[in-house]
Amino acid sequence: MSDDDPLWYKDAVIYQLHVKTFFDSDSDGVGDFKGLTSKLDYLEGLGVNTLWLLPTFPSPFRDDGYDIADYYSIHPMYGTMDDFKTFLAAAHDRGLRVVTELVLNHTSDKHPWFQEARSSRDNPRRDWYVWSDTDDRYRGVRIIFLDTETSNWAWDPVSKQYYWHRFFSHQPDLNYDNPEVRDEMWRVMEFWAGLGVDGFRVDAVPYLVEREGTTCEGMPETHEVIRFLRSQLDAHFPGRMLLAEANQVPELVRPYFGNGDEFHMAFHFPLMTRMFMATRLEDRGPLTDIIRRTPALPDTCQWAVFLRNHDELTLEMVTPEEREFMYDEYARDPVARLNLGIRRRLAPLLDGDRRRVELMNGLLMSLPGSPIVYYGDEIGMGDNVYLGDRNGVRTPMQWSGGWNGGFSSADPERLAFAMISNPVYGYQAVNVLAQERTGHSLLNWMRRLIRVRRSTRVFSRGTLTLLDPPNQRVLAYVRAYEREQVLVVNNLAGTVQAVELDLSSLAGAIPVEMFGQSLFPRIGTEPYLLTLGPHAFYWFRLRRL
Amino acid sequence: MADESLLSDDLLRQLVAVGHVDILVGIPTLNNATTVVEVVRAAQAGIGKYFPRARSVIFNADSGSDDGTPALVRDATTDDTGTVTASRPLRTTQRITTPYHGLPGKGSALRMIFAVADLLSADAVVVLDPDVTSVEPEWIPALVRPVLSSEAEIVAPLYSRAVSDGPLVTQLLRPLVRAAYGWRLQEPLMGEFGCSRRFAGHCLDRPSWGGGAMSDGVDLWMTGEALANGFRPSQTALGPRLLAHARKRPGLPDVFQQVMEAVSVCLEAHAGYWLTRGPAEPVPCTGALPGAVELGARPDVTGMAEAFRRDVVALHPVLATILSKATLGGVSAAAAAPGPLVYSDELWAATVFESLIAYHRAVMTREHVTQSLLPLYLGRTASFLLQYGSSGPAVVYDALESLGQAFERAKPQAAAQWKKA
Repeated sequence: MSDDDPLWYKDAVIYQLHVKTFFDSDSDGVGDFKGLTSKLDYLEGLGVNTLWLLPTFPSPFRDDGYDIADYYSIHPMYGTMDDFKTFLAAAHDRGLRVVTELVLNHTSDKHPWFQEARSSRDNPRRDWYVWSDTDDRYRGVRIIFLDTETSNWAWDPVSKQYYWHRFFSHQPDLNYDNPEVRDEMWRVMEFWAGLGVDGFRVDAVPYLVEREGTTCEGMPETHEVIRFLRSQLDAHFPGRMLLAEANQVPELVRPYFGNGDEFHMAFHFPLMTRMFMATRLEDRGPLTDIIRRTPALPDTCQWAVFLRNHDELTLEMVTPEEREFMYDEYARDPVARLNLGIRRRLAPLLDGDRRRVELMNGLLMSLPGSPIVYYGDEIGMGDNVYLGDRNGVRTPMQWSGGWNGGFSSADPERLAFAMISNPVYGYQAVNVLAQERTGHSLLNWMRRLIRVRRSTRVFSRGTLTLLDPPNQRVLAYVRAYEREQVLVVNNLAGTVQAVELDLSSLAGAIPVEMFGQSLFPRIGTEPYLLTLGPHAFYWFRLRRL
Repeated sequence: MADESLLSDDLLRQLVAVGHVDILVGIPTLNNATTVVEVVRAAQAGIGKYFPRARSVIFNADSGSDDGTPALVRDATTDDTGTVTASRPLRTTQRITTPYHGLPGKGSALRMIFAVADLLSADAVVVLDPDVTSVEPEWIPALVRPVLSSEAEIVAPLYSRAVSDGPLVTQLLRPLVRAAYGWRLQEPLMGEFGCSRRFAGHCLDRPSWGGGAMSDGVDLWMTGEALANGFRPSQTALGPRLLAHARKRPGLPDVFQQVMEAVSVCLEAHAGYWLTRGPAEPVPCTGALPGAVELGARPDVTGMAEAFRRDVVALHPVLATILSKATLGGVSAAAAAPGPLVYSDELWAATVFESLIAYHRAVMTREHVTQSLLPLYLGRTASFLLQYGSSGPAVVYDALESLGQAFERAKPQAAAQWKKA
């Protein structure tokens, strides 16, 4: 990489993709690294600068690859290690960073470590997992996958003890009280970082260590493990990044940044939920509330923000009334509900409303944090809630209106997941090829949006000051970085709105709309009147001339 | 359409910021600093608890308070009230407080509230009295739901009343409105009420807004407007209605004068309706009322009866001009009769109707008609309390029902006389 800025992740626009469903180069119905490599020009053209790949390790695929059976290999269906290296080099050649998955908390029950551990109670690997003679330890700890699991303990008929699992019962938790586990995980990181991987998205961080009488989440010993891994990474691979998945409110995520000595980044889950809530309520309250509640981070740290990802839209961190509202508004069909969330992609969640899709992406790109675009959302792909679990949002990328949507030349029946084929979101209607040829397509609009976002560091590194206009349907804020200031005004409502902004502190500045470069009247000491179309948003670079 | 000059530019700017709302809670104020905070809190809590998804605004029209009422409305929070901690609405409940200009009084305040409701396209409007200390968050859904569900366009309150509570309502307005307007509405003076945007817009379009009766008798006028113009009424149980004691209120003679003026204005304005209206229909009720509690000192029934007996004699020449011979004879006989005072339902119904016709015909100054009726009202009230003051609610209910029927029976003749006049 030519850019050696150690804070590169602050300026990242991340594209999350599933190798499995991105592009199939060998016609076996499954995407692979050669296929992904052939699509890097597309990703470069989109304007993103970082790729985050879902797991590509050997796995029995009972949790779509998050049930890892070997941390040091690529699953053969995705290609060879050489294919991965080729991909990595090609990505770097284009200035694209690559972030891979690091599933620390658990393995597959098919992993040799677990197979050894269960083989006998005195096996040397036995203590790599968490065992108990009874299933009443850590009583009261919440069950995460409520729809499938009834306990965090599962009975192992081989060694005749219970083993601890916070997720599926086929994913036994590793025992981080055993230093061998911690050291082994560092070797895993060392292996991939040594190949050139730029960062790790660390799965299910809060659950590494269990303690009786607690929620077993975010234990001090968990932070010790993280600090160990971070220090090792910094010492051996400076400039690499750790991104935490801690599905919690920002106050509780803040400790995972430590004093800048734990994670570089962490997902901001509630911000995502509240973007959906605020735009449906047409009221900025949920967003300003969470923004005000979000604690400051150490200078070297950054939030990762997103609209959708490979999981359900989580509703864990909302009140029962809010959850009911979200279900009513976004998942009237109960089949779209999973655990405490909604398994839908962005476009269907927003009823395919282009204005709302644009507004949501505008919020994503202008609020603090590094934005993540989930593959396919840049063209407005749909989902298939009938595929089970969260697979409905992991269907193949729709490249064209041709055979299998241009994803694979295999027989359609052989595809990893069936293509979306309904008349609204099917590949015949929604695909890259068609949108590339249409100037006003969502894809081309997204390219412009990302280009404008990346034209300045004010969005990636700047401060945010909320404005408080009397019109609650309008969310307005000023982003500032060094000498640059950008005024962002969002109409959360589906109706035209007028808003008066108190910009007296910015008096004298000339707003220049950043997409069309249109000049607006100079800001004075009187309230600044703007009118906004339904779900419209403005980004104004404030010039002082 | 809202009057163009009614809303100041500053208020309009605030309304632009609020936009369309589902629920508007209007609070007309004038120096209500001691009580208004609880009213605002109750409104906010009621919205948060029962309509957490609603777009809502609490709108305070202030008639020039000098005790800090508007600031208290602006700053009232629900944070420190334990009962409403779980009542956070999903949407922001906006709050506007604005002074209004022009004639002071509730009429002008209501006009502004209706104008704002009209501009904001509020689906339901609730008006709360800032002086009420017994207001609960539950009053909001009670007054709003029938409107939002299109079951009613005007939602009147039902209050728990002790037998001696509110005789002007129970002895005069309730039976009179029942007979004249043909609806068995328990509280024609709607201290609190809910209504639809259509009704608010209707009232706003009326030319009658102004001083006098429209200021002091606007509650009754609205009731009449609703009933006479086909706005479907309903009633909802709110419980006891307690008012702050600190406020200095007008004495009975003044109140009685205001009521009579309001009644007269309404009957004249709605003559086309009430003169041909048939028997009274029941008004749907929601909720259940708790038992009433006797509040404050009981009325001086003996004094009221003595005043009646004395004044009937003293005012005989005047009463002879107002009442028919038969009615005056009955009144005189009641006054002269030994023992406990008995002023029958039939006699009282005839007294009221004949007085109103005299008022309408202007056989003398209206003030004199009112002043002459006042001792008769005291006599009737004393009679009722002597007979039912110790009775249980069911007996009192039946007695008041009989009174309403007596007014209905008296109505045809009264209507005929009114037409002749």
